[in-house]
Amino acid sequence: MKLTRRELLKMGLISICGAVIPVSAFEVFKPEALASLIHPFSKKKRWAFVVDTTKCVGCGMCVKACKLENDVPFYADIQRTWVERYVQRKGGEVIIDSPRGARYGFTANDPQGRTDVPEDDISKGFFVPKLCNHCEKPSCVQVCPAGATYKTEDGVVLVDRKWCIGCGYCITNCPYFARFFHPVYNTADKCTFCYHRITKGRKTACVEACAFGVRKIGLLNDPDSEVFNIVKTERVAVLKPEYGNEPHVFYIGLDHIVR
Amino acid sequence: MSSHAWRPVVVIVAVVIAGLVVRQMIIPKDFTAKNGDYKYQWHRASNEDEWKRMEPKHMGRDFCQQCHPDKIEAVADSGHQHVQCENCHVQFDPEKRGHKTIDLKADYKYQLDIGIDRSRELCKRCHSQLKYRPSVYTNFSKGPIPFKMIDPEKHNAGVECVMCHDVHKTGFKTGVK
Repeated sequence: MKLTRRELLKMGLISICGAVIPVSAFEVFKPEALASLIHPFSKKKRWAFVVDTTKCVGCGMCVKACKLENDVPFYADIQRTWVERYVQRKGGEVIIDSPRGARYGFTANDPQGRTDVPEDDISKGFFVPKLCNHCEKPSCVQVCPAGATYKTEDGVVLVDRKWCIGCGYCITNCPYFARFFHPVYNTADKCTFCYHRITKGRKTACVEACAFGVRKIGLLNDPDSEVFNIVKTERVAVLKPEYGNEPHVFYIGLDHIVR
Repeated sequence: MSSHAWRPVVVIVAVVIAGLVVRQMIIPKDFTAKNGDYKYQWHRASNEDEWKRMEPKHMGRDFCQQCHPDKIEAVADSGHQHVQCENCHVQFDPEKRGHKTIDLKADYKYQLDIGIDRSRELCKRCHSQLKYRPSVYTNFSKGPIPFKMIDPEKHNAGVECVMCHDVHKTGFKTGVK
């Protein structure tokens, strides 16, 4: 085969151009990506959670129920869900605490054990329940060297207790501090959205224990679910969106002092 | 090509092959990346079922109703209508544990410890006065109501709440006013 200089340059340029286009440039043509452009809410089965912080009174019954349900040692300071108290003083100082993860609730005005915060000096305060955000792009899963933690097809992030080697990478890599080391199983542990309950048609233990309607669990792709309707019609926010994890715990009434 | 150069090569190849064989034997057969997603969904598929197989422990009001329909009826009509039995009746304190009449664990396969906690601390979790506690209870079936809060240091300090209050009916006990 004989090549002229013109043909060589032409083919060379074309192949160079072709080689530099990364595979990810074609991602927009993935059917599910296109579908998400047409339907802002994906048709894919996806569990999600809603927390209405405006209703939370800080009783901590959710923490108690979760610890019971999921065999998290009650007297150890580890929890799959916990409630934080945010108190801002008139001078602007923000005091954040969660004594014992709030498993005994908040019964007195003693943020961080301090007694020098009189009620008159508080400009605002509220409670924020927290739990694993079951991210669409969980950074904890990405760092697991053993393949022991993963996202299920319906969006729940789980830990494989038989396969976890307990290295703790995921615990340090979660931007929400939702993971901890389980002292009985000697593995990483975290909220499972009560996977054993939601797959049987029950609500999670924390949702069931909440008397104030703060917590809601449901499918984000189900037009009949409360979670879907809240996310669709109300103003919701997520924690630390700057990390790009796409968390799936949506908060109503989130304040800028919440971390 | 002399044989002394081939020997280390043979050894290395043998080690690599042995490593691959051992790896095949150790890694469970059901390790999969669902949807081709090796980044987030690379896992042992049977672990999902292991999680699903766990039994729920927090059984809710329907379970208690089997034996205590009268209590459930009273609560369902009261301000405590959304408070689950287990919020107050599940105990950690070993001294307070134990269902008085029957053994729930043996007879009903119920896994939690049931008892009665009459401490003020329990009621204070919701009802102690805090400035940052919502003052309206919006979840009540008959419409929003003011949320009852007291200052535990001034409101009959040292006395058990249940001395005057009927927590199932949410009000005063008969004869107390």
